[in-house]
Amino acid sequence: MLLVRIDNRLIHGQIIETWLPYIGAKNVIVANDELANDVLQQEIMSLAIPGTVESSFVTVETLTEAVNGSRSDGSTDDIIILFSSCADAKRAFDSGFDFSVLNIGNVHYSPGKKQVSPSVALSDEDETCLRHLNRKGVELDFRCVPNDPIQARF
Amino acid sequence: MTAKSGNTKAMVGVVLVTHGTFGESLLAAAETVMGKQENCLAIGVDVNKGVDETMESIRSAIQSVEQGKGVMALTDLFGGSPTTMSLSLMKSENLEVITGVNLPMVVATLQSRDMTLDALAATAESAGQQGIKVAGAMLRKKAKK
Repeated sequence: MLLVRIDNRLIHGQIIETWLPYIGAKNVIVANDELANDVLQQEIMSLAIPGTVESSFVTVETLTEAVNGSRSDGSTDDIIILFSSCADAKRAFDSGFDFSVLNIGNVHYSPGKKQVSPSVALSDEDETCLRHLNRKGVELDFRCVPNDPIQARF
Repeated sequence: MTAKSGNTKAMVGVVLVTHGTFGESLLAAAETVMGKQENCLAIGVDVNKGVDETMESIRSAIQSVEQGKGVMALTDLFGGSPTTMSLSLMKSENLEVITGVNLPMVVATLQSRDMTLDALAATAESAGQQGIKVAGAMLRKKAKK
């Protein structure tokens, strides 16, 4: 199973404790321009990832390459891909990284945003990005952790 | 107990950084056992707040308990946001980060804050681990003898 997720925290407890075992991930790819250039933050984030799971940090632009290169047999079955924002997910999709389901985990609240589920608050720009992806056939899956009911007033 | 001015006998500052209100409650529990503590703060990480905002509250908590001997951050889950955020402050602050916080660890830490940061970290680690016992089995074993 492939998980493509928006989580403003990227790798953290929910990923390590729930999603990693749930999808049996062998690879975690963080697509984030800032982190791709910050080795210390990469080391901090990878610290708690089990030794059997590979992690890599790439720019949004180079994500497709990274995913294709992560498996010699070309399968993308056990990969978790993390974006920190809706805009990054849209950017990756538009530049050719194809996915059919987008999990929206944590998008933090700030003034002016609309709360659509307990862990997701969307700005107008976020909403535009998600609607764009939805129109292109991407199913939106609003869940923090695997056992959450799929929930959104969107 | 150390005087409030604290300059003659500086102690390591302590910050509990956890998910939700766990740290706050843990500190309250420790104070029930030990009495009111100084230079010790609990910061709860709220997933619905931005990372930057939370980082700033952790940083300011660390700076406000710092007395020149460094600060120990006790965090809950290895790999969780409270831990990774604390770790990323290590470059700017004189900080040690210990995960898996429990009440025995908090109590031992608060009792030995005149130690150096390194020694205190070792003490906290061992107290945290030693606090975990399958006590029921110990009792059953004893009763059999």
